[in-house]
Amino acid sequence: MDITINRFLKILLFLLGLAAIGWLVVKLSSIIMVFIVGALLAYILDPIASFLEYKGLSRAAATGVIFLVLALILFLTVLFVVPPIIDQVKVIQHNLSSDTSAEAIKNIEQFIRKNIPFMKESDLNLQVRVNEMVTHFSNSIFGLLGSVISIITTLVIIPFVVFFLLKDGRSMIKNLVSIIPNRYFEITLNLLYKIDLQIGGYLRGQFFDALIIGILSVIALWFLKVPYFLLIGAFAGLANMVPYVGPWTGASLAVLVVLISNGEVNQMVMVALAFAIIQLIDNVLVQPLVVARSVKMHPLLVIFAVIVGGQFYGILGMFLAVPVAAIIKVFVIEVYNMYKKVNLAF
Amino acid sequence: MFEDSVWANIFRKKEGEKVDILTVLKHIPLFQDLSKKELRQLERILHQRTYKQGEVVFNEGEPGVGMYIIEDGEVQITIGKDRRVLAVLSKGDFFGEMALLLEAPRTASAIASKASILYGFFQPDLFSILETYPRTGNKILLRLSQMIAERLRRSNIENRELREKLQALEAKGK
Repeated sequence: MDITINRFLKILLFLLGLAAIGWLVVKLSSIIMVFIVGALLAYILDPIASFLEYKGLSRAAATGVIFLVLALILFLTVLFVVPPIIDQVKVIQHNLSSDTSAEAIKNIEQFIRKNIPFMKESDLNLQVRVNEMVTHFSNSIFGLLGSVISIITTLVIIPFVVFFLLKDGRSMIKNLVSIIPNRYFEITLNLLYKIDLQIGGYLRGQFFDALIIGILSVIALWFLKVPYFLLIGAFAGLANMVPYVGPWTGASLAVLVVLISNGEVNQMVMVALAFAIIQLIDNVLVQPLVVARSVKMHPLLVIFAVIVGGQFYGILGMFLAVPVAAIIKVFVIEVYNMYKKVNLAF
Repeated sequence: MFEDSVWANIFRKKEGEKVDILTVLKHIPLFQDLSKKELRQLERILHQRTYKQGEVVFNEGEPGVGMYIIEDGEVQITIGKDRRVLAVLSKGDFFGEMALLLEAPRTASAIASKASILYGFFQPDLFSILETYPRTGNKILLRLSQMIAERLRRSNIENRELREKLQALEAKGK
């Protein structure tokens, strides 16, 4: 009887502990988000630190060098890229409330009404919707970091997290692993290694792929004289990190902007063509070089993961969906294989 | 006691007690070519584990991913359900190094017969050291291949001798 009560108490305590952890995670989700972004960046930068270590630097010195270079890049970005982007956002907001764009949207509405007869009057009202969308979009661009905590705090905390995770991450993982009971120690170590193999290449590849696609898009849009080319290019690069959906979103946005700003069919076709060429370059040249195709998952599973990720954590969730799904996949496969091997051996 | 050439530490050196882990590592044949600096790089990667008396380090048949070095204590290598002892290893000895190269089920069990402190060196650690410090990694890899080649050579000799004995017995029987 006593044993049953003891057991019941233990289970109750365990459930209470679990609930407490859950409550903490929800309450601290904004801070956890900052740490996830920091950990992600540190994880992406890790091979560079390892390479510098291989060249003879200590881990601390390697981290220092990476941070100096990043600070320089950030400084140049703030100096040359951020002011035009802010200007472009302001111009978008101004233009959308101006008469010309209202006219353009009215034209589109008329075009839709004429060609799609069963569309009701009330279904449209594009002007309001576009305005809502743009306000939401520009808010979410700055709000992506800003809404989490204040932008300044985030900008201080993220580099701080990245620095220490990059410098001490390995020993932190080692210390974490050291508290695992002997029985599960080897299995855990092996699992961590397999997960790293699967998602490391993928995440780093996606990051550099996004960077390259972003730069290519900015150049193409600038060349085609598309307004807000910096903003759309940067968005296209970022969106490219979301599988399947991302590339289409970037291209659609660019075409939409041309449609709203002047509606020139030629320019729209050129922009679409430019994105098609960029995707071609991405698929034929960039991806095979930088993205390790280590995450072997069915496209349906990828799409499903992206949608679920988006539901839970928004844009960040969509970026992280595939690696998280990959972690779950490796975990399930490894644990299954382990049990199969153990059962076969005895 | 019967000691077979795979599990017994045939590279064991008869030397006095050593104190710090670097000295223990230096006496492990796998790491004997490493300089002090390289040993320190290695030490940062190794996992220190503590085992109670009678605690299982690994079981026969379980997938293995690496080797263990005994810093202190005693470990029995056993085989079969009746736990037949193949070898008794003590301070400075090591076992399970084959799993560094081959991700296969363990061919024997290891049980701490006294309270022990072991250092684990695993396949992911070897890969990581090969990537970050390739010179150190290559030295370890070369020694590992030499040791396994040496074990194979000994096993071959044992095998040949046993076969000759068997043939001689068969000839006698006829």
